[in-house]
Amino acid sequence: MNSLFYALPFVMVAVLIIMGLYTVLFKRNLIKMIMGVAIIQNGVNLFLVSLAYREGYVAPIWTSAPDVDMVLPTPHALTLTSIVIGVATTALMLSFVIMLKKHYGTTDSHETRRCKE
Amino acid sequence: MSLDLVNASPAFILGIPLLFAFLTPLADRISKELRDAVFMIGLLLTVLFVAVMSYEVFTAEGWAYVFGAEETGEITRFSFFRIMFVADGFAALATITVAITALGAGIYSFAFMEGQTGMEKFYTLFLLTLAGVNGMILTADLFNLFVWFEVTSIASCGLVAFINYKGKSVEAALKYMFISVIGGLFLLLSIGLLYGEYGILNYFAIAESVNGGVVDRVALSIILVVLGMKASSVPMHMWAPDVYTESPGAVTPFIAITSLGSLFVLFRILFVVFRYSVSTAALGGLLIILGLLSMFVGVSMALKQSDVKRLIAYLSVSQIGYMLLAVGVGFSTLENGDYATFGALALEGGFFHMINDGVYKALLFLSAAAIVYSTGTRNLNKLGGLAHRMPYTTMFFLIGGLSIAGIPPLSGFSSKLLIYKSIYLYHPILAIIALVVSIITFALIGKVFYNAFLGPDLGLSKGEVPTTMLLAMGILTAVVVVFSLFPNYVVAEIVVPAVEALGVTA
Repeated sequence: MNSLFYALPFVMVAVLIIMGLYTVLFKRNLIKMIMGVAIIQNGVNLFLVSLAYREGYVAPIWTSAPDVDMVLPTPHALTLTSIVIGVATTALMLSFVIMLKKHYGTTDSHETRRCKE
Repeated sequence: MSLDLVNASPAFILGIPLLFAFLTPLADRISKELRDAVFMIGLLLTVLFVAVMSYEVFTAEGWAYVFGAEETGEITRFSFFRIMFVADGFAALATITVAITALGAGIYSFAFMEGQTGMEKFYTLFLLTLAGVNGMILTADLFNLFVWFEVTSIASCGLVAFINYKGKSVEAALKYMFISVIGGLFLLLSIGLLYGEYGILNYFAIAESVNGGVVDRVALSIILVVLGMKASSVPMHMWAPDVYTESPGAVTPFIAITSLGSLFVLFRILFVVFRYSVSTAALGGLLIILGLLSMFVGVSMALKQSDVKRLIAYLSVSQIGYMLLAVGVGFSTLENGDYATFGALALEGGFFHMINDGVYKALLFLSAAAIVYSTGTRNLNKLGGLAHRMPYTTMFFLIGGLSIAGIPPLSGFSSKLLIYKSIYLYHPILAIIALVVSIITFALIGKVFYNAFLGPDLGLSKGEVPTTMLLAMGILTAVVVVFSLFPNYVVAEIVVPAVEALGVTA
């Protein structure tokens, strides 16, 4: 039971990543595809945070901390960085979609394939 | 390593472009000339520090620069928890390739991008991409790799979409962005897997404890696919032709160099982190298959193109195959006696081909951009007779084209000869395929040259391109010529240190 409890976040990670990939691969609307990317982002971030968790350990803040073991600080730093990067990439992709909508008049990914013509 | 500036040069290679990237918009407030000057100073200073670092590596020895270390130049066990930059022969080779291309593309963009608005942002994106690629190459920390990977992705996608009044460039940028972002996220996932297993992110620290279990293999496969995708190796190449074709002509070589940078990173990770824990023969075989596919599919797709930039884009995919093939052969021989016989030679050929390819591909893309600049069309069926009015561009294209086709005595021939010699000993059929691909490449270059430059003057061209564009192409041509005239010197001084940095046999 206990091990199942610890596996739960990782199951959730797998669900999120597969959901995101499904959205990117099978949805035609570009905005929905970007939502899929955001879902993958959240899945990966959850994965990093789950890696750091240790039962009964406290948050890694040194100032006036009780004398007990702390969870791993590095993945939290990684996750923060990754969230910031995620915001930047999502914003840039959405702005590309705005421009594409202006030029092509559609956000359907099947109709925005004009590079090959 | 007496002077501290030399020791810290890897940090300056990143710091200078990052600083100047955000100085250019400020300088733009004052005057356009100052903005251009600031950009050029930033670019030249970066090149200078690349030169300083490489000189130190070639004359003395490589070193690891640890950020925030109390004692410089000393590696303690705490160093592995800090961000570490490696300045060795391989990093020198890679940063020199990036620096030459960046210099060419940077000088070229002054005249090429003239009349565009928002140029201060263009320079910002350009310098950020430069910092990102160099960061990817220099870092020895997996998470830092992810950060630079994303910096490169965001900045280079901005560059691709820079001419945003054309729908197609935005489309290409969005495509590239999807590929890069999803690739980056999976890279982060594999970094998480490795961190979860070993609790550390430094390449060398992971290499000490990596055991080649299932988790490692999954992480390795993801890294291979992601970086192979950024490098436009064949099953994952679909973004490359669109992006190379639709990006502004001045930065196309720079987008291509981000691919080459990813390939450098892939090789460093394979050689440093995973070589003791996986079957080098099997992984090398995989690289060889990817290489053969890239070479063959790239060149056969190029056959049917009538758009000059798209054709060169497919040729560039096919050139990536040569490097994967040669390095794959070198990698697969690491653990057996063949390394001394031909494995090291294959690595030399592969790495020499990387620096050659970076330079002559930049030259080809820039001369293709010069055609577009002067005539306004990329369609080979409409072009013709450009040699009458654009003699210099014709010459530059010819030198770049003959070099990519591997015609003696040009630099492409020297590196391809090393590759043929070594892979023939691995398996003769590989050398035959490589030769056939080379011949088709030559035929394609002949086709472009004949269609675009020869024949009667059709009056399409507005005349020769501006002097700064000629200067940029001239610099790249000069580098190709130097590499062609002194291949032995280049191999001994630049390529062999890179091989020694990675291919050390236990």
